[in-house]
Formats: sequence, C-alpha cells, structure tokens
Amino acid sequence: MNGVDKTGSRMQDVWMKNEVVIGLVMVAVLTVIMLTLGLSLVLTILIDAAVFTIVTLSLNLEVGHTGISQFGRVLAVIAGAFVVGAVPGRVLAFLNGLPYGVSYADDAVNYKVVPAISDLLASSLPLSVGFLLFSFLLAAVAGAAVGWLTSRPAIRLKEAYLGISLLAFGDFFMWVGHNWEPLVGGTTAVFVPDPFRVVWGSRFQVVVIVAVIMAFLVYLYLEKLTRSPFGRTLHMVRDCDVAAAVCGKDIVRIRTQSLMIGSALAAVGGALYVIYAGTCTAIGFTRLTWTFWPWAYMMLGGIGSNRGVVLGVLMLTVARTLIITYRSTLFGFLLTWGIDPMWLEYTLMGLVIMLVVLFMPHGLVPAKVESILPAGRVRKAAQEQGFGATVG
Amino acid sequence: MKTLLATEGLTKAFGGLVAVNRVSLEVRENSLTLLIGPNGSGKTTLLNLCTGVLKPDSGRVVFRDQDITGLEPHQIYELGFVRTFQIPMPFIALTVLDNVLGAMRSPGEDPFRAVTKAAWIEREEEHMERALAILEKVGLERHWNMPSASLGAAQLKMLEVARGLASGAKLIALDEPIGGVDPARAGDILTHLTELKKEGITFLVVEHRIDIAAPFADHMYALDRGSIISHGPPDSVLNDPKVIEVYIGRDEAC
Repeated sequence: MNGVDKTGSRMQDVWMKNEVVIGLVMVAVLTVIMLTLGLSLVLTILIDAAVFTIVTLSLNLEVGHTGISQFGRVLAVIAGAFVVGAVPGRVLAFLNGLPYGVSYADDAVNYKVVPAISDLLASSLPLSVGFLLFSFLLAAVAGAAVGWLTSRPAIRLKEAYLGISLLAFGDFFMWVGHNWEPLVGGTTAVFVPDPFRVVWGSRFQVVVIVAVIMAFLVYLYLEKLTRSPFGRTLHMVRDCDVAAAVCGKDIVRIRTQSLMIGSALAAVGGALYVIYAGTCTAIGFTRLTWTFWPWAYMMLGGIGSNRGVVLGVLMLTVARTLIITYRSTLFGFLLTWGIDPMWLEYTLMGLVIMLVVLFMPHGLVPAKVESILPAGRVRKAAQEQGFGATVG
Repeated sequence: MKTLLATEGLTKAFGGLVAVNRVSLEVRENSLTLLIGPNGSGKTTLLNLCTGVLKPDSGRVVFRDQDITGLEPHQIYELGFVRTFQIPMPFIALTVLDNVLGAMRSPGEDPFRAVTKAAWIEREEEHMERALAILEKVGLERHWNMPSASLGAAQLKMLEVARGLASGAKLIALDEPIGGVDPARAGDILTHLTELKKEGITFLVVEHRIDIAAPFADHMYALDRGSIISHGPPDSVLNDPKVIEVYIGRDEAC
C-alpha cells in the first residue's frame, strides 16, 4: 500500500504479499506430496489445476472484471469439449476414408475408428501438433460463438436475472449431448483422437507440461488484457454501467466482448480436458464441476484478482485430488456414522464457499485498486505535472 | 449564436406523474445555460431524457441539427454531448486518475489492440497529462492515485465534473456541480467553466445554489412541476413573479 516509493521497504512489501506466501506454501506442499505420495499424484494435481486455471480465469474475466453473474460456465466448457469430441476426429476420418458421418459417434464404430486415427497421429509429429492446434482453435471459435449466442437474450438483464438465465443455458448442451447420439455418442461417449500418442512413453508428462504452459499463457494474456484501457472499460461497466454509458462506453458491446473472450478461453479449457482424458462424455460436464467449482476457486482466490484465482485453483485442487484419492481408504470410518465419504468432495466445496463468504469475502488475494497503466509511467507523468510527492 | 441543443415538446411520465411536460428549450452554442427549479420539478429527468439515459414518451431532442431522440448514451457521447450525475457515480474500484481517463477515448479499448501496449501507451500518456491538469483544476490533484471510493462527497462531485470535462464534449450537462461544495471552490469551478466556454465548450447547468451560479449564466430556464415557467436572461428570470412564487411562496396577505 504505502511506502511503495521507499526502496527500502519494497523488498519487505514483496515478501509480505499474500500471494508470495501462499505460492511458496503451495510449492512446499506439492514437493511433500511428490516425495511421499509419488510424482504421478503431483502430475494429476497439475493437469487438473491447469485445466481449471484456464476455466476459472475465464470466469474471473466475466465475473470479477466485468461484473456479469456467470452461473453457466459449464456451457462454454461443453462447447469446447463437444466440438473437439465431434469434429477434428471426423475430419481426419473423412480424409482417410474412415466412417465419419453419423456412424462415427456410434459406439460400435467409434472404438475402432478413433484408435486408427490416433495411430495415424502417432506416426507424425507435425500432424499431431496440427491436430492439437486445430482442436484448440475450433474450441475457441465454438466457445466465442456460444458466448455470443448466450449474450443475445441475456445481456440486457442484470445481476440475478442474468445469472439465472446463464445457469439455465448452462445445462442445455449437456442434455443435448447426452441424448443426441450423433454428436458425441450420447450416453456412451466418444473417444477423442490422441495427439500425444506421438510421445507415447512420456505422454502424461508431456500433457502436463503442455497444459501448464497453456494455463500460464492464458494467465499472461488476461493480465495484459485486464491491465489495459480495455480492462479499465470492463471495470467501469462493472462498477457503474450507467456512468460508463454516459462516458461513451457501449455497455452491451463490452459485456458481449467479455462473454465471448471468456467463453472462448473456457472452451479451450474444455478441449484440453477431453484431449487429456481421451474421451468426451456428455453427462460428465455437470454444473457442479464446471460452474460451481470454478466459482469456489475464484471466491477463495479473490474475485477480480487473476493471481488470486491461480492460487485458489491450486489450493483447492490439491485438497480435492487428495480427498478423491483417499476418501475411501482414509475416510471409510465415516460410514459408521452413516456418512458416505463419496460426498466429502462436495461437502468441502460448500464449506469453502461458506467460510470464504463469512471470513474472507475478498478472498486470499483481494483485487487491488491500482492504476491500469504501468505504475512507473503514471508516477513520472505526475511528477512532470508537479505533484509527484503524493500518496503512492 | 447558433442553437446547439434544442428540445421540442419533450414529455416523460412515470405512471400518473408527469415529470417533464412538453418542455421546449434551447441551449445556444458557447453559452452557460442555467436550469433552476425546486426539488422534484423535473430537472434531472430532463437531463436524463436529453442524454439518452431515459427515453421520452413524446417530443424530440435535437443536438447540432441532428435528431438524437432515443439514442443510447454512448451514441450521444460520440456526437459530443455528455452529462454528470447529481448523485456521484464513481467507478469505485478505479483510481481517481483512471476515473477521468475512462471518460476519454483510447485505442486500447479495442480488445485486440489492448494486449499490445505499444498500440495505446502513447495516447494514454497524452491523456494522462490532460487528466492530471483537469484534476488540478477541480482540486483533486493530491488524490490522483487514490481509490475513488476514498473520496468525500464534495470531492466525488468534483470527480464527476472532471469526468465531464475530460470527455472533450461540445456540450456538457452538469447536474448540480457545486452542490455541497464550499463557496470559494464553487466560485472557482464556475470561473473555470467560463474559461472553458471561451474554448468553445457549452454548458447546461442544473443548480440549486442560484446565488452563486446566476452571475455566471448567460441564459436561464426555470422549471416547476415539469413545465418551463420562465426563461430569459438571469435577472429577468429571477425577478419573474412566477419564479419568486415557486421559490418563496405566494404572499397570501396581499
């Protein structure tokens, strides 16, 4: 806060920051997990954290930065997951004379076609990379389209009304996918061609590295986007839309842009997830996992704080993964009291949301009020005007 | 002098209450037009109708010979007409400086160009200089880097004025710019508006503190219960029996 101008206290400021402390604690926790429980668990945590970092950051763009009550995050994730489950495999099937039509998603055909495509991908690195990039691009386009579509009826609504509309839209595609077999196999799911088979021996490690790099790029992109005049406009719409309109901002367009960018990123997250999992199961994309978990991550980390969101995702993913891994072995005793440990994961989510709302409404790393422009430049300009020695 | 803004038979009712009733007024270019009237006489509603915050039931708003009735506020901003709010509406999670910068147009507002700083940083720095100069004029220079939420009531008023000035508009409608401001500062602000008038900016000012504002006005409109009851040079309006009656009440003894 203050003392930014005093170089002596700057180091101290850095060390006292919540995010640094939490970040170091998380690194320590992951190291302990790796040493005691093995690397594969750490990799599982990292892949989950990477996917949910992308999804939750996209949610934070819409909720934290723009003030849209996005209760339908799952919709865009599904758009990305389904389009990657349905399209790129079919394209390759078509090009190679394999069944690509309605029958592609038929379970009796799909389990033979997709491995054949994966074998094809495994034979060529450029083809695999191209397939991966094409999938992400496709997902982003589908996500942006879905973001635009949902924005049309919903954008003029505010707060609760908008939230309920988006919540309702959210489940729409899941049920379409679950019941309309030609899309992604309906109840039986489709396999997704594996562009990582080309590095078969170390597939898991490579997937994790790619996912973490992608999450990091999304973080960098959103940091740049929100610390720009565009980000300032988002914050203006969030803080007071009438005043923003009078200041010349087209609030409908800005909300639409935010929804489209956010949904495109969430769709990339969904695409990454199905490519990693190797299958796309419609019924797996529940609002619980893909809307409410991201909300819990975001609320814990700090709504509006990109850095906080990353840490929130990491913390809760560690907790969630450990619970899922050990709930039956370590928490089996709960059954004697009539509590099924299957539900521990969801109980944790409820508990986190309640505790955050009660004790840390701004999250672990509260969003700060600071100049959108680089601090150094602002201070320099102020000094030139003759009032540099002000509150910093 | 040319007419910059004109309303023709502007009417707006909220249920049974006719807040603005067939109001026709003219704001001439390069003038400071003062709009007075008791509480509830429809001054703010009139501003809302002119700037697109509310849509009129009937009547027209013409700005620079263009019909702007029913346009959105941001479209009216593009044409060069902005307003400030009587109850300050700051962007609470932005700094004071960013509040002012937000009222300007920046190439970095485009989401594609936003990520490449080189595309907008120069323009932003120019804006920053202008914004800091404006903040100095309204007496907020010491608070430029503070969250706007930390300002007091009168300072928030000044932030509203600063945002209006920053927009670079031809016509700025100020809704009670000196309400709650000490008389010395209020005089400074009005003097500053007079200086800006010389640069070609026109002002439409809603104000209760007639004693301070009237000397700066070129033209005056008095509103009561949604209708214009008097208009003309400030002196004649202030001496109009209808205006005196509205403000002081009828002398029943006479």
